[in-house]
Amino acid sequence: MKLVFLFVSVFALQMATAQDYKFGKISKEELQETSDPEDPEANAAVLYRSQEIKFEYIESKGFVQKNDIHERIKIYNKEGFDQATKSIKLYNESNELEESLTGFKAYTYNLEGNKITEDKLKNDGIFEEETNKYWLTTKFTMPNIKEGCIIEYKYTIQSELIRIDDIEFQQEIPIRKLDFKMVTPEFYNYSKYPNLRAAYYPQLNDSYKEKTVSLSGEMQTSIEHAGGRREARSDFSRNDWKYSENITTANLDNIPAMKSETHVSNLDNYRAVMKMDLNYIQYPNQPRKDYSTNWERVTTTIYNSNDFGEQLKKSGYFSNDLSAAIAGATDPIEQTYNIFNFVKHKVKWNGLHGYYTDLGVRQAYKQGVGNVADINLILIAMLREAGLEANPVLISTKDNGVPLFPTRNGFNYVICAVNTAQGIILLDASDSFTSLNVIPVKALNWQGRLIRKDGSSDWINLSVQNPSKEIVSLNMKLNPDLSATGKVRNQYTDYSALDYRNTFENYSQDDLIKEIESENGNLQVSNIEVADMVVPIKPVLLSYEYQLDEALEEIGDNYYFSPLLFLKIKESPFKLQNRKYPIDLNFPTSRKYMVNIMLPEGFQVESLPENQKVQYNKTEGEFTYLVKENGSMLQLVITLDLNNTLILPANYQEFKKFFELLVSKQAEKIVLKKV
Amino acid sequence: MQKIILLVLSSLIYTQIAAQDDYLLHVNSIPLELRVKSNAVVRFNDVQINIIAYNKVVYTNKRIITVLNKEGDYKVDAYHHYDENINIQNLEARVFNSNGKEIKKFKKNDFKDVSAVSGGTLYSDSRVKYLDYTPINYPYTILFETKVIYNSTAFIPSWLPIEGFYVSSENNEYKITNTSEIPIKIKTSNFEAYNIKKISDFHYRSENLQAIEPEAYSPDFKTYAPILKAALTQFDMEGIKGVNTNWEDFGLWINNSLISGTQELPQAVKNNIKYLTENANSNMEKAKIVYEYMQDKTRYISVQVGIGGWKPMEAQDVDRLAYGDCKALTNYTQALLKEVGVPSYYTIIYGADNLIDIDQDFSATQGNHAILCLPNNGDYVWLECTSKTNPFGYNANFTDDREALIITPEGGKIVRTKVYHAKENLQEIQADIILDDTGTVIGEIKIQSKGAQYGKHEGIQTTTVKEQELYYKNDFWSDLNNLEILKMNFNNNKDSIVFTEDIKVKIPRYASKAGNRLLFQPNLFNKITKTPPRYKNRKLPFVIERGYTDVDTYEIQFSNSLHVEAIKEPVTIKNKFGSYKLSITTANNIITYKRELILNKGTYSKEDYQEFRDFCLSIKKHDSSKIVFNSKT
Repeated sequence: MKLVFLFVSVFALQMATAQDYKFGKISKEELQETSDPEDPEANAAVLYRSQEIKFEYIESKGFVQKNDIHERIKIYNKEGFDQATKSIKLYNESNELEESLTGFKAYTYNLEGNKITEDKLKNDGIFEEETNKYWLTTKFTMPNIKEGCIIEYKYTIQSELIRIDDIEFQQEIPIRKLDFKMVTPEFYNYSKYPNLRAAYYPQLNDSYKEKTVSLSGEMQTSIEHAGGRREARSDFSRNDWKYSENITTANLDNIPAMKSETHVSNLDNYRAVMKMDLNYIQYPNQPRKDYSTNWERVTTTIYNSNDFGEQLKKSGYFSNDLSAAIAGATDPIEQTYNIFNFVKHKVKWNGLHGYYTDLGVRQAYKQGVGNVADINLILIAMLREAGLEANPVLISTKDNGVPLFPTRNGFNYVICAVNTAQGIILLDASDSFTSLNVIPVKALNWQGRLIRKDGSSDWINLSVQNPSKEIVSLNMKLNPDLSATGKVRNQYTDYSALDYRNTFENYSQDDLIKEIESENGNLQVSNIEVADMVVPIKPVLLSYEYQLDEALEEIGDNYYFSPLLFLKIKESPFKLQNRKYPIDLNFPTSRKYMVNIMLPEGFQVESLPENQKVQYNKTEGEFTYLVKENGSMLQLVITLDLNNTLILPANYQEFKKFFELLVSKQAEKIVLKKV
Repeated sequence: MQKIILLVLSSLIYTQIAAQDDYLLHVNSIPLELRVKSNAVVRFNDVQINIIAYNKVVYTNKRIITVLNKEGDYKVDAYHHYDENINIQNLEARVFNSNGKEIKKFKKNDFKDVSAVSGGTLYSDSRVKYLDYTPINYPYTILFETKVIYNSTAFIPSWLPIEGFYVSSENNEYKITNTSEIPIKIKTSNFEAYNIKKISDFHYRSENLQAIEPEAYSPDFKTYAPILKAALTQFDMEGIKGVNTNWEDFGLWINNSLISGTQELPQAVKNNIKYLTENANSNMEKAKIVYEYMQDKTRYISVQVGIGGWKPMEAQDVDRLAYGDCKALTNYTQALLKEVGVPSYYTIIYGADNLIDIDQDFSATQGNHAILCLPNNGDYVWLECTSKTNPFGYNANFTDDREALIITPEGGKIVRTKVYHAKENLQEIQADIILDDTGTVIGEIKIQSKGAQYGKHEGIQTTTVKEQELYYKNDFWSDLNNLEILKMNFNNNKDSIVFTEDIKVKIPRYASKAGNRLLFQPNLFNKITKTPPRYKNRKLPFVIERGYTDVDTYEIQFSNSLHVEAIKEPVTIKNKFGSYKLSITTANNIITYKRELILNKGTYSKEDYQEFRDFCLSIKKHDSSKIVFNSKT
């Protein structure tokens, strides 16, 4: 067995030498290269990366995870110099939950004339930072960086953790060649979840082989830290030990760089990355310890935890407050609303996500502060106590990515769903401006997992069905001195209202006036009023009066003005020629402008814009423009409906055109002349 | 003996304050005028500074602040930095609800402890302990008590009774007690305007200071807000004893204790730089070769540990590692220049887009940046050593036009850096444009920029094609709907410091339709679209920090099927802020559009603001004026 091994490794070594990927074997050709052949704009490229994850058995400790990284990076120009500074993050909560860095070495290579020079990274370029209680960061910056240089480094991260970090196959710079190998003992069963939404998909190969470890004495299995918690420790003994190892490898070439675009909800959703989730641990002659395998089981694991299901069962801490919170309401929706409001005011969000409680419901309730789970589990418990059918819904926020694979890390958030005769109402009491069926936008991520009292669970759709409205009424009196005076009323509902409230929460009236006036220097706003800013169940109503000097532009014998005056959309936000990733508009919207214009005495219409209706992808987007003349009065109705919230790259051109057209249309002028 | 006296003294102060606390913890006792434009009210702030020795200063602070809304949260300022030589003895915070009832208490160990590495720095040994508190309701009040011992005393905490915008201050007190032999010096500014009382030497008190609201174009906060600065004439900087009675001896100390001995270079480097400069005829020519050699060799990496935050890294280490921070790269450049016989001065300055001076009346550790100064026949040339791309002697937009401390062999001296005048800061746009009868435009544009405007443009050359396109679409010409970039070409002449952009664009439906007319804005590429905000009652003076000149010349060839219905008369405006000239002429289907805008640098009174705003409004109006075409068909 050992002989075979030796043979294999010698063979591998020779192969590596031939391909020049052995550490330190930098070629002149690599140093002479001036740009990446596949991506000539790249400022730097990874010429070679290898990653090997393995578990080695050490008698005093059990299985130790080793993660070997070796990377060779070519820097083409000074914009690529950032690549010469790197950080390695190490988890460092306690001795048992600690990762350590070993075997770290790094060099910079340059070509001086015809000679390759090397500069070793010394201690004066390595910095260890205790970032906070949980993380240690080793930062390093390479010596003697010049355009065209190559840096190369390798290190091993060692830990007793069973959890395997996400494996990244893609970076912000192109990768020319990547070798990946992961060897896990049969006792640890993982599921591999490559990102299906990535534009680049790595080819993986799976195999297994036998392994023998000879033991001198007592054997220990390692401590389980999968969830960052110490849960079990088991010992058993045997003298000679054979087991099999699962092996996954990938040998990849020319991996394209990630490039960011605007209006992408989370670029990492599109990175070629593989998540590893522990399904179960089964040591010889021991019962199998399950973690997650399917969504049902993931949900059950979470539900059965002390920090989740048990928290829902507690009720004593609020018993006295519940009846006061309901305040005599008998209608289930009214009851729901009252309790929701009560919890919102009672417990404030501490900025932390999570589906497990932070302080526990009792403490959170007492202290008036908690994480998302603390707050929403209190809400659910209170609703249930009041006899309503309220259930938790596990969610993955947009930052956390779409929950494509059944892992506990697939979720990071929990909200509440109440089943009523009128259908399901979603609630999140962790934000002061949320309402019935209006939850924070970050949580509107495809689907969530609803868990009933009996532990059964199902997916529910989180995407918003009803469009959020913005209705603008603009009254305008045009005056002979070319000014316009009048009144504007804006109404925002649902998510548009949430957006307005979040943006203008702390604006005084003066600040609001300044904000509106900033659109046009000739504008003076007065008598501004905002109604129901802090009553999220109601729409926000904004109204003000205005005077706009030089509203009419006099050119030659005619007078020109835009019917939306200072309210118009000035530019299309979508300016890229092409897109790789979808646009996420978050929620459907319906915008409507109703404009009433009174012409100045002695003026008449010379020309009006034409009526128009434009659609995007059938009815997914619709713009209408309607103008009517009625004596000295003009009436316009302009609407913009966006019914689909995800614009796919294939439809981007059409969407872009649609937007450009409506922006041009809104800019069209009405022409007046003197009678 | 000394200790006992101090103890008695401090306990005395404590009881006195305690009696007052109860009142200050109630929100309803806040005077009405302190709530105006306020997100937070400093109810009470007592800063006590005890100078024990040149290397030991005890800072005690008791602070009661009421936060009125979410925007005021960050004014709590319940944090303190520490490192090897700053020792936090006590940190304690108590949180009260609006009725003055205590709802939470934080001891020193309850504060979060994190590395205080700030943006742009790779590593620093500075750490910070901060209060991580989630407000349950507004308003709330925090009582924060701190005691810190400084063994590094180069900075004595200064005093800003008005801490910033949107925060008012009810009772604020600052006192230095000096039991050492070391003379201290202080400087107060703008105290009269805010009626700040002097109790005794080094002891001041303010009462009921209203919040200040920011206003556009206003000068640096510290030029009009009250501020007290303090410094020791002998101090300790991370274990090194320093002297500071005036700029001269402070500069000498920097020279002798921080710089000298750090400029050794390897022999090979010395030989090489001599060889490279051997045919240069003047000091400036040599300096340019040295500067470009340094730019080519090094990159900027910031590491600040202990005295390394103040003392430059050794020149030979910079040479070996090929990186350094501003101090290290400046010092390295100076070492190289010394080798070829060109004199230069290490310079300490505030690096920022806006103009911030080293306060010349108050010698102390000031500044946040180091550059190099080359004396040049009674004038100075300034070298920004952290840039790999700056042309030789170019320092606009970051270190221009401000007081700086130069370290000469005779000591420190304050001099003003180069001013970039309106005339030099020139942007010229020339464009040949074709307009068809659908309103679509195709244009070939040449943009040349110089002076401070060079720095605003040249950065684009090193970005990706996608970013370049987006820059024109989102930033430079964001008002042009439907813009398509057909071609881009850049030329950077670093010798004459001119950056040229050659761009070809297409703008479908640029001219908007109005019945059978086309409305065409002849100023396609350089419109003023934003104007200064309106203030009913402007309170602060205003500053135009850098002047500039924009010259635009466009030739627009329009389709035969269009004819001009109306065209604008020429415009000339001239006033103290600058001038604006516009003319449009037409001949043979060609419109010639000429525009020149000069904005002067200057400081103006608040009374002038309205006139300045009107000037901008009229420029905006003329810039957006249109030519009306009638379709012949």
